[in-house]
Amino acid sequence: MSYYGSTDFSYNSDFNLRIRDIKKGNLDFGWLDNTRDKVEIRRRDARRGLALSDCEVGPYSIENSPEIVRDNRGLAPRGAILAEGSDQPDLGPTLNRKTDVWGYRVQSYWEEAMSRQWNVTTDVPWQDMDKYEIPDEVELAFCQLCTLLSEVEMIATDLPAKWSHHMNSYFQEVKGFIATQCVDEARHAEVFRKRALANGVGLLRASVRGEHALKGILEADSYSEGSVFLHVLGEGFILTLFRSSEFISPTPVEQRMFQLVMQDEARHVSYGLQHLRYLMDNCPEIRPQINGFLDEAERHLTGLFNPDQLESMIVLGGKGTSPECIKRGIEVVGAFQGKQIQEYFQRADRAGLPERRDRSPLLELQERMIGMIQAS
Amino acid sequence: MAIKFPSVEFFQELARRMEAKSAEFEKLGFCDTVMGVRVEGDTSHLYALTFDVFECSNVREISHAGDVELDFTLAAPRALWREMFESIQKHGQPEPGYTLNSLSHVGDRMEVVYDDPEGHDKFYRFMATLQAFVDLASDLEIEWV
Repeated sequence: MSYYGSTDFSYNSDFNLRIRDIKKGNLDFGWLDNTRDKVEIRRRDARRGLALSDCEVGPYSIENSPEIVRDNRGLAPRGAILAEGSDQPDLGPTLNRKTDVWGYRVQSYWEEAMSRQWNVTTDVPWQDMDKYEIPDEVELAFCQLCTLLSEVEMIATDLPAKWSHHMNSYFQEVKGFIATQCVDEARHAEVFRKRALANGVGLLRASVRGEHALKGILEADSYSEGSVFLHVLGEGFILTLFRSSEFISPTPVEQRMFQLVMQDEARHVSYGLQHLRYLMDNCPEIRPQINGFLDEAERHLTGLFNPDQLESMIVLGGKGTSPECIKRGIEVVGAFQGKQIQEYFQRADRAGLPERRDRSPLLELQERMIGMIQAS
Repeated sequence: MAIKFPSVEFFQELARRMEAKSAEFEKLGFCDTVMGVRVEGDTSHLYALTFDVFECSNVREISHAGDVELDFTLAAPRALWREMFESIQKHGQPEPGYTLNSLSHVGDRMEVVYDDPEGHDKFYRFMATLQAFVDLASDLEIEWV
């Protein structure tokens, strides 16, 4: 036990007497002394049920919250009535500015996440796997890819989990959204693990370079840095990797798997983009810090282009290991890596960081890597 | 009775089928996007399909992409759209090379046109719904015009 409260209620005579009194039926209804005025909640679209945006009214609305939350440092949800004085415990949130965490439309991403959940066990047509024969080298390559993707998904689960309790509880929608992200990423790690094992090959080599890249995400100094690295840069790249993996999937079973994971990934990218936009719009002085961070993060990310992953993608893209297959695989992988980088720059433009195109080492690194593979 | 492709009626029929299979689409979740479908040929056609919660609530043919705020547009020659729907009809689902993602990813057989990367990302956020939507043509009698 590392936290001992200022009052031990089990031995507090006032508290115990009051509880005994209540149990005798002597209620004083003090908790109704400071109730707020009633609010009018209107369900705008019956098909959506009661949406978070329907509940954005009066003191409950984020629009009516200050940019910096000073009054609440505990677990009270936005709009709750706080105890007078300093009775509310301080849980030490470090992310108390709206710009620290908020993103445009975060409520709708949370709703979308909740409505688009799926189940690895039952929504992937595992029963169809027996219908298809996959060449051994392709199956091995696919299991190597699943191994790296499992590692990636671990960090994508851990990063939001690491930051959630640092967020002021008034930013409930962001906490809720990143909680869905934890579930999404855990599900992705589950699906890649199950697929690697499904045909008996299992998980292959863990990636040293890849894990160094992923450590960079987890060790970001602020939530915004972690978010831009994970959501915009990392997941943006992984989204394109998922698209490519659907494209080169050996059977419709894997295609279905990637169609489902790409939906979740794209939603995380969208939140990250909207957080970065919100940050750039409302806290432009942070631009040099974010750019400096991305200069390093983009170098880190190239660790995900590690030789094991690259070779497995080439085998999958070419559907084999013959020279012709490898040639075709290199073309496919080169094309999708180009897309990864271009789409990242487009998102950076949209978020208000167009200078990434000129500052980024990604294009040069990509050209060097493809050149090395072609030479070998 | 056969339904002409391309036509507004074709996509309206898919929308009607989507409504009829509401449970399947409710399981896939909210889908909120305006998708353009461009069928290129001697006479090109551009359709705006509005997906709203669990349904495709509006299908229109438009003259220019600017007439409606489209999140993204899938653009392909008429022959490729036909290949895709014939693949779906043959197998009940597309062959691996004929999913919306595969067609639009590498090789640019089907182009994804967009102005805003956020609109572009909606294509992927709602991929399973959009794929299920076009798969509804699996037993539709189509007259290719």
